[in-house]
Amino acid sequence: MVLAAWEWLPRWAVVNAALLPPLSDVLAMFVTILGRSQVQEAIAVTAGEVALAFMFAVPIGAGAGVLVAESQYFGQIFRPMLFYVFSIPKSIFLPMFILVFGIGFEQKVAYATFSTVFIVIMSAAAAVESVKADHVLVARSYGATRIQVVRRVYVPSMLPFLLETLRISMIFNLTGVMIAEMYASRSGIGQLIASWGENFQMPQLFAGVVLLAGAAIAFNETVRWLEAQCSAWRT
Amino acid sequence: MQRVANLSEPGAKEAQAAAIEVAELSHVYQGREGKVPALEGISLDVVAGRFVVIVGPSGCGKTSLLMMMAGLRRPTTGTILCAGRPIDVPDPDRIGVVFQEASLFPWLTALENIEFPLSIRGAPRLERRGRADAMLNLVGLAGFGARYPHELSGGMKQRVSIARGLVQDPPVLLMDEPFAALDEQTRMTMGHELLRIWSQTNKTVVFVTHSLTEAVYLADEVLVMSPRPGRIIDRAEVTLPRPRTYEMMATDVFGRLRERIWQNIRKVT
Repeated sequence: MVLAAWEWLPRWAVVNAALLPPLSDVLAMFVTILGRSQVQEAIAVTAGEVALAFMFAVPIGAGAGVLVAESQYFGQIFRPMLFYVFSIPKSIFLPMFILVFGIGFEQKVAYATFSTVFIVIMSAAAAVESVKADHVLVARSYGATRIQVVRRVYVPSMLPFLLETLRISMIFNLTGVMIAEMYASRSGIGQLIASWGENFQMPQLFAGVVLLAGAAIAFNETVRWLEAQCSAWRT
Repeated sequence: MQRVANLSEPGAKEAQAAAIEVAELSHVYQGREGKVPALEGISLDVVAGRFVVIVGPSGCGKTSLLMMMAGLRRPTTGTILCAGRPIDVPDPDRIGVVFQEASLFPWLTALENIEFPLSIRGAPRLERRGRADAMLNLVGLAGFGARYPHELSGGMKQRVSIARGLVQDPPVLLMDEPFAALDEQTRMTMGHELLRIWSQTNKTVVFVTHSLTEAVYLADEVLVMSPRPGRIIDRAEVTLPRPRTYEMMATDVFGRLRERIWQNIRKVT
């Protein structure tokens, strides 16, 4: 329905085709721009930034989250601080990141890591707290060692939450990279989309949106599928 | 030494081996407003093979006492011996524990849950399967091994819990209000089932509950605890013959015992 409307509303001139090009034009442009080396390089740059920021944010955030949830000491010190920082829109720090890191690859990775790490900390802490004390007690009563408790109780309890964390943190991560690229950059998909918008190249702009949306949805659905596989036991 | 004496005089109760001996146990925990005495001067012997039930008002520390017998908590003072040796850390070879509802791991099937204690110990796969299957049969759940806990009724879940507690064949089974979350009918049926399993396995059972009817129906001996700080204020022998039947609940002996326990609890609350 939506796709049909996208195709036919501009064709019938119900909406302005200059603002919303028909779907078929956008898809044709999508294929065209994928063939351009400039776009291919941009994809490589953005994918590199996204992957690297993800690889920093998730382990750091997960480690910090576990620490905050498990250690009373760290929890009491850092929890209020985390809540404060979490509530701030991260984009207001973008100018500082530019001052420190410039407008290149490192700045995108640093900013995306920064904008993602807090949601990972919060979700990881929530995942740890979801582990039932009764289950830990059961394992201990059967003589489980600390490592066995972690492997046999913590990990399976937390797995569905952790996958959800991966999914949500990727959304934050992609947003971080895109904002950084659109704000000030010389390369990347975000920068291309921004400049296509400024130059009123609507078919290219929409093709870029389709590209990014496709990648984001593909990642999200893959992890959601994994979640469903791992949580067959959940009611 | 006691065991030798026991063999020569099998009828003498005083000489029978104690499966669990608690001596001068007390527990104080650090509350918000300073130290709170939770358990005070608890001494008791659980004779091997007996079914002992601990009752008391909520918050009297009966669950704490059970957790200490399981080696999951340390008392402030006093000692707990199981089979003559102290219990400092959980020892699944000597003691199995059955917890309140919802203690099964929801990500494991019934059979895998029962296997859990064995897999913690690193028992080979085949042995685990064999033992777990036997336990599943014992608790009357043959054919339900592949179900996940959420696919089982409350009563069935507790049968799995009992099977898990018994799978390592410990001489003592500690049960912490295992049927508290069940409806009245299921609860009675499960009590009856538990007695059947107990008579087939010759375990020593220490069972915590706040239901007086359940206590008298199941026990050889009922220990009554006072509100905090928990002390043992009465020790009632249940002289009803075994096997117990539902009809016994209507008898005078049953009623008088239940009344005596209730009066003792009421006096101190």
